[in-house]
Amino acid sequence: MIDWYFSHIVLIQSTLTTLLLALSVQVPLRAGVFSFAGVGCYGIGGYIAAIGMVHYGLSTATAILLAAVAGGVVAYALGLLIQRLTGLYLAMATVAFTLIISVLVVNGGDLTGGAAGLFGALGMLDTGHLLAVAAVVVAALTFTELGPLGRRVEAVREDPELASAMGINVARYRRATFAVSGVLGGLAGSMTVLLRSTVTPDDINFHLVVLALTIIIVGGSRSWIGALVGTVIFVWMPEMLAFVGEWEDVVYGVLVAAAAVYLPGGVTGAVVDGYRTYRRKRRETADSPPDAPPPQPAAAAVGGDS
Amino acid sequence: MRVPHRWRRLRRATACALVAVAAVSMSGCDAAQGGIATEEGIPKEIKLLGVRDQTGPVAYAGIGGARGGKLAIAEINRSGFLGDGVKLTIKEIDTAGSIETASAEMAQATADRTVHAIMGPTQGQQAATVAPMVERAQVPTIFTQAGSDGVVINDYTFRATAPMASYYNLATEYLADKGLGDVSVLYNATYPTFAEIGEGSFPKQADRHGLDIVSSTPVQSTTQDFTTPVRSIAGEDPDAVVMLLTEPQSVTALTQLRQAGYDGQVMGTSVQGGGNLKEAGKHGEGVIYPTDFSPALTGEKARDFVAAFQQRFGRKPDVYAAEGYDGMWWLARAIKASGSASREGIKRGLQQVAKEGFDGVMGELTFEGNDMRVPGVLVRWNGTSEELVSGGAS
Amino acid sequence: MAQHILNAVALGSVYLVFALGMALAWSTIGILNFAHGATFMFSAFTAHVVTQHVALPMPAVVLVAVAAGALIATLTQVLAFGPIMRRATDHRSAELRILIGGIGVAAIPLAIAERVTASAPFGFRGSTYQAQVFEIAGLRMTTTVLVIVVAGIGIGVGVWRWLATSRQGLALRAIGVDSETASLMGVDRSTLALGTMATAGALAGLAGALLTFQLGAIAPASGDQLLIKAFAIVVLGGLGSMGGVIVGAFVLAGAETFVLAMNQGTWVDAVSFGLIFAVLLLRPQGLFGRKEVRRT
Repeated sequence: MIDWYFSHIVLIQSTLTTLLLALSVQVPLRAGVFSFAGVGCYGIGGYIAAIGMVHYGLSTATAILLAAVAGGVVAYALGLLIQRLTGLYLAMATVAFTLIISVLVVNGGDLTGGAAGLFGALGMLDTGHLLAVAAVVVAALTFTELGPLGRRVEAVREDPELASAMGINVARYRRATFAVSGVLGGLAGSMTVLLRSTVTPDDINFHLVVLALTIIIVGGSRSWIGALVGTVIFVWMPEMLAFVGEWEDVVYGVLVAAAAVYLPGGVTGAVVDGYRTYRRKRRETADSPPDAPPPQPAAAAVGGDS
Repeated sequence: MRVPHRWRRLRRATACALVAVAAVSMSGCDAAQGGIATEEGIPKEIKLLGVRDQTGPVAYAGIGGARGGKLAIAEINRSGFLGDGVKLTIKEIDTAGSIETASAEMAQATADRTVHAIMGPTQGQQAATVAPMVERAQVPTIFTQAGSDGVVINDYTFRATAPMASYYNLATEYLADKGLGDVSVLYNATYPTFAEIGEGSFPKQADRHGLDIVSSTPVQSTTQDFTTPVRSIAGEDPDAVVMLLTEPQSVTALTQLRQAGYDGQVMGTSVQGGGNLKEAGKHGEGVIYPTDFSPALTGEKARDFVAAFQQRFGRKPDVYAAEGYDGMWWLARAIKASGSASREGIKRGLQQVAKEGFDGVMGELTFEGNDMRVPGVLVRWNGTSEELVSGGAS
Repeated sequence: MAQHILNAVALGSVYLVFALGMALAWSTIGILNFAHGATFMFSAFTAHVVTQHVALPMPAVVLVAVAAGALIATLTQVLAFGPIMRRATDHRSAELRILIGGIGVAAIPLAIAERVTASAPFGFRGSTYQAQVFEIAGLRMTTTVLVIVVAGIGIGVGVWRWLATSRQGLALRAIGVDSETASLMGVDRSTLALGTMATAGALAGLAGALLTFQLGAIAPASGDQLLIKAFAIVVLGGLGSMGGVIVGAFVLAGAETFVLAMNQGTWVDAVSFGLIFAVLLLRPQGLFGRKEVRRT
């Protein structure tokens, strides 16, 4: 087990950072905001952390904190600027934002290292730290998925007009998702870079947008569990597919396309549906007497001396 | 007491998990058997790992490196170079164009105590990411390609590819010799190697050789159509154009440069090697470029290598294969020099060989620290193959 | 100056030919096909393989690529997008799954072409076509550019007018506005979808052939770079407006040419995407988009 852990430590760690990246796109999507600003903030966070460590000798924790705050602030400001946009127009504007970041760092001179990027930014991070950050994030997100808050977020996604008629400040919710996605993107970017020790302009690209989206749709877009499932699938897939050798990418494409066709709710949706069907079938067959849980006799509750 | 069935299920699950863990840890023990790479001396089998792209957009570099290495291993084993019955073996692991896969595979490779040395990723950022890891694990690693900064950064990282900038002076000298004094530069500024030459080393060398840079035009990796930049260059009508672009960009820029009416000398880079100019047809004819290896080299070692490679793989070797081949011979010489195939022994040996330099298929190899330098050779593309222009005198 | 404008028009036509097919499928049957770039690339690749064995003239090369593109897109529709649309409960989730399906499909031809060519650039060297250079009023251009400009603008305007005036165009636009009502009015959605995808694929193939002639060669990854630009062009012009696509293509090409002519080549992407960003700020529905047609 220990051996297995150490030889797979990179995959375990990158599962956690990729999860944060996927969440940075999923959080706005859950509120009906089709924004990829989180990916741009991933780049911003990565560069801030690297610049902080390489040029200013910041500590790992400070660098990550700074990256997260900067990501949140930039994304919130962007949200203010483009809050009128919806749908794919919003998606395009945020993709444009992400790609502009990449051009800026190419032209950033010594500060960003130009086309070659920065290297030697090795942070003091271990799996424990990453787990702690991911756990805090997931706990906070669970809170936004359940209860009245969860229902309000759902209303903002499904029917903004109705939501605002019900007294929900839709615009505020939307802006908030920008800030949250910025913080998550900043965290993901800074931790990825500090684990890798290098960052280049090439890291901020359209493929990252595609990856994040694929993870969410294949995993499941309604809850963090879906993002986690998708992340595990896509981070570990190269390892699992290594046996197909040179045609790995072809198999990858077939699997992704098949998931889009056959798993409408993503893997998590399929599992939940499957479980429900299973339960229903069980209940139907077991509807007749013996195994049904006997109604609790009132006496048991009263006569309570065990 | 009757256990509620939910608990029963959980218990069963736990038992399964324990069995699975036991199976995994046992297989872990299996892997640790065999030769241990920390023991001094030369064992009968020396296990190596290649961790580099075998699929994806830049697979050609990893595949070439692997082929060159395999050919070298066959020769080393056949000739008994490391002693009777001593065998080098190598297994290639695909990093599939991904930084994460590269560092994950590298973590597994360095944790495997039967691995003596590693042939590292060819893609720059994969290499830069794994470079600190191999120092921590103390496994000597030889990279080919991986031209960016931050790769050869410690005692355990070695590189068998000379940076393009280190032999680009062949181009500058040629231009000066031929009296092609006015030069326009067209370069991909988002590609680190080209940015370095276009903005750093070439202007400096040009200055030293009295060349006059008429204009310098940066483009991006995403630039596909060159009509506008080549039009201005053709308008300047310089004596020569230095073109530092990726493979498809080069074909387009050359074609459009000729169509824009420019008929002077074009000076390219080793990217043009391996037949990448074929698609430019007649527009590609006459392009000159410096490279670290060409099948046109006439030295005895190079000729033998080209023949042996062609026999085994049915095609001429490219620069990646030559680098993989010389890199593998560097390793073999290292084991012989230090008399030990342990990880420490190989590291010491590589450094020792590097101090002395050796003769490879790329010519007389020298080193700056752990980083290879080659004499380089200037070649001309004649439309179907490379011809020697100068250099590579051996 | 005039030369720069000509260059911008040529580049715009290149973008237009590529973006047309994507825009057609997107603004009518609501399919944003992320495999459009791969279809483009693989059509050109197919034609490349054919020209290696037979020396074909330019029209034949184009025909091969067009056929290959139509075939790939039809297969994509039958095997991936069609089933997704049939199984979809709501439009929104179908749209996202079509995106992902396209991403998956795109990986397959890309991997094959990368494997076969070892990522080396490929072109139509085997073709009998040789570009001729000529000059009119001091403006230098090639026959390829002429073909592309004529094809781009001609087909662009043709598709635009066809959609606006023909019966099928009306049916397609009806689907784009409200697919349920349209099918109640007797529009056969799945047949039209198949036909539209085949046409879009044929346009991708046409773009593949023409661009490869223009650029001399493309690489397996070339399609991806154009995909994002086409996405930008369609959004810039306004979803649902083919006229907008034509304008969008030339605006983007004009901006890029301007930056290149100023010799600020490393800022091209920043300027073009900054421009799109700015346009969207001023007009959230794109230049010619209708406000009602909202797709999310």
